[in-house]
Amino acid sequence: MSSLLELRDLSVHYRTARGEVTAVRSVSLGLAAGQTLGLAGESGCGKSTVAMSVLRLLPRTARVEGQVLLDGEDVRGMSWGRLRAVRWAAASVVFQGAMHALNPVHRVGEQIAEPMRLHGVTGSVSALLDQVELPARAARAYPHELSGGQKQRVMIAMALACEPRLVVADEPTTALDVVVQAQVLDVLKRLVSERGIGLVMISHDLSVLASTCDRLAVMRHGQVVEEGPAREVITSPTHPHTQALAAAFPTVGDPASRQVTPSEGAGGPVLLRASDLHVSFGATKAVAGVDLEVRAGEIVALVGQSGSGKTTLARTLLGLRKPTSGRVLFEGRELPRSASGLRAYRRQVQLVLQDPTSALNPRHSVYEAVAEGLRIHRVDGDESARVAEALSQAELRPPELFFPSLPHELSGGQRQRVVIAGALALGPRLLVADEPVASLDASVRGEILALLLRLRRELGLAALVITHDLGLAWTIADRVAVMYRGELVEQGTVEQVLLSPRHDYTRTLLAAVPHAQRSTRPNWTSSP
Amino acid sequence: MIRHLAGKVGGALVSLLFVVALGFLLFRVIPGDPVVAMTRGRPVTGDQLAELRARLGVDKPLTEQFADYLAAAVRGDFGTSYVYSRPVLELIGERLWPTVLLTGTSTVLAVVIGLWLGIRGAWRRGSRSDRISTGLALAQWAMPTFWLGMLLSLATGDLFPSGGMRYPDTPSDFVSQAVDVAHHMVLPCLTMIAVVYAQYLLVMRSSLLEEMHADYLTTARAKGLRDDLVRRRHAVPNALLPTVTLVFLHLGLVVSGAITVETVFSWPGLGLLTYEALTGPDLPLLQGTFVVLAGAVIAMNVVADLLYRVLDPRVRAS
Repeated sequence: MSSLLELRDLSVHYRTARGEVTAVRSVSLGLAAGQTLGLAGESGCGKSTVAMSVLRLLPRTARVEGQVLLDGEDVRGMSWGRLRAVRWAAASVVFQGAMHALNPVHRVGEQIAEPMRLHGVTGSVSALLDQVELPARAARAYPHELSGGQKQRVMIAMALACEPRLVVADEPTTALDVVVQAQVLDVLKRLVSERGIGLVMISHDLSVLASTCDRLAVMRHGQVVEEGPAREVITSPTHPHTQALAAAFPTVGDPASRQVTPSEGAGGPVLLRASDLHVSFGATKAVAGVDLEVRAGEIVALVGQSGSGKTTLARTLLGLRKPTSGRVLFEGRELPRSASGLRAYRRQVQLVLQDPTSALNPRHSVYEAVAEGLRIHRVDGDESARVAEALSQAELRPPELFFPSLPHELSGGQRQRVVIAGALALGPRLLVADEPVASLDASVRGEILALLLRLRRELGLAALVITHDLGLAWTIADRVAVMYRGELVEQGTVEQVLLSPRHDYTRTLLAAVPHAQRSTRPNWTSSP
Repeated sequence: MIRHLAGKVGGALVSLLFVVALGFLLFRVIPGDPVVAMTRGRPVTGDQLAELRARLGVDKPLTEQFADYLAAAVRGDFGTSYVYSRPVLELIGERLWPTVLLTGTSTVLAVVIGLWLGIRGAWRRGSRSDRISTGLALAQWAMPTFWLGMLLSLATGDLFPSGGMRYPDTPSDFVSQAVDVAHHMVLPCLTMIAVVYAQYLLVMRSSLLEEMHADYLTTARAKGLRDDLVRRRHAVPNALLPTVTLVFLHLGLVVSGAITVETVFSWPGLGLLTYEALTGPDLPLLQGTFVVLAGAVIAMNVVADLLYRVLDPRVRAS
């Protein structure tokens, strides 16, 4: 079997101000035509560096050792002219984050056609768009006029423009919601089987790789820690890191990954209730008649695709946006309208945002970030004692050690803990968490979810968790509400909704979740 | 689009109205009595002074003067210059084109030089040529315009005329006139460019630096584009967006910035006219030039706004 791509003992070092840092350490991998290789790992494990080294796209500060053989020819030894000829024509890349990988001032059609002109390939842009199931008129659009999934398809169409034999896809579906992710993955799978190209797919999500790839390599700290046929790696992982990664993306229906016992969080008094809530932006109805309640000490997951109105609903529940009609009741009383009344209300109901990096002011120390809420609400008593208590509740111990730290000195998980501590400092009854773990690494994700569960157990804290991730709902929620086009189409306990869904949309969502087939499939059948 | 345009132009007209009002108030605050200045060194009686005041209209209460001025200004009449005894608009019209010629030429050159050096500097950031060109630009930017102007005319000796716009004995055919004007323009032009291009360089350099690590440049490189194509086709069009706004905002200011240069080189433009009017103070003339100079800023603002929409598809959509 002749290899399309072969990495032999590849190491990459970056020169930094603090000396040389090794990003990739003696990685050897091979890929044949028509095959799909998955490369898994957390951020910083070196997987993107491997991807970039295939076309020699690493920054000047990188020092590369070993061989990168593309069809038997070492990329490292190529002249600039030869390299430019090989780029895109022999191998192309679907870059991470199509949002930024497309040039905002050029029409996407021009961007797809550019490599064809450059390499003298004849072909039609509309045929390429057709292959990724986009209409031909999409060529006239600018990147910002397309949705995330459409941009990702444009990237794929662009990668296929010169009919390369190898495509490297770096996190091609991250930031897409489940339904769109499933569509994009289908397109990729179909192209591999139809055209016999080799595909290297990079992701932090093992379940995505498991559903697409033949072989799987797991990277950690620049090294491949486990490699083998995808099915084997997923079903019987040998390395502890692989096991941790696999556990971080739970399979819906797998009892092992459910961390809530059914008796927990049931039967408390109703804390927050929305009745017949409507929110419109002009003619668009973002929230169209929602009835929802969260009881004390209960974790409710609000799931749905992006654009389903979940975030608007959350903002309305927090009193950040006035409903067009309908009522929001907290402990039986309607939300106050006055500024001071709303301030008192928000002490009870705190918000945790998706991305802790942008939620924290980069120039404020951890102490200031947590104490800010106390100051706004003019909470009496010993400020530093309260800050310390909140930080240790969020498992940042010893808290005094973190007081002077600035956000950039902390890891992603620690930052999210600071955000949670800032909410806890005010002693709220309810947390509204918008995708609390979406921007975190797999191993950290589990810890933050465990923290939410522990806070519920120890402080009786209720939570409304907004997510597109059904696995997350399965792991920690008591009840699930499924939102679709501004309406709650299905509501009930996690077991009811996720194991025997009644609404078609819930079934669609469940069917779109990539399956590792690690355990028995849940007892529902997807409707055609 | 039409609505947007109408909104912008409407807003600009409101700003212009404020400028017209401000033009009156501002020059009533500065010290100096035009009547005293006009009669300096001549024996005049109190009656004559009073008559002159009445003729100029400065004996009326300020509110009444303001109303008269506003009513006339809206009709496009800025009065008659005290010193020249000619309509202000006629004087401005005469002096406008030398200023446009001087500032236009120097701005175009400064923009071209600034952007080119900025792009080069950013693309080879930290290289010796980047450090030298940025340092030099900053040093020139920091220099007082009049000082640099005088220094330049000293240094070049008799090579270029250091004042005026043309020699009186130049033949009146077009070519010799043009050559003569160009010859006179060398020094004022050089002075303006030297002081101004640094801003364009720095803005272009920093906005290109911001784009340097953009992912779409990696995409472009991965497609196999040559380095200069990556820069020209992908990096520069994005980096130009903030620069264009600055260039046009600055273009408005350049006209008033010409006051120093025109005074140093006695260039018969609006700047010199403003300077002359200030010594009076020749109130109607000052008001007129003030409105024209401020109007230039407002007009360029509108142009920058509209141009940005043409250049950036994202702004066009919203």
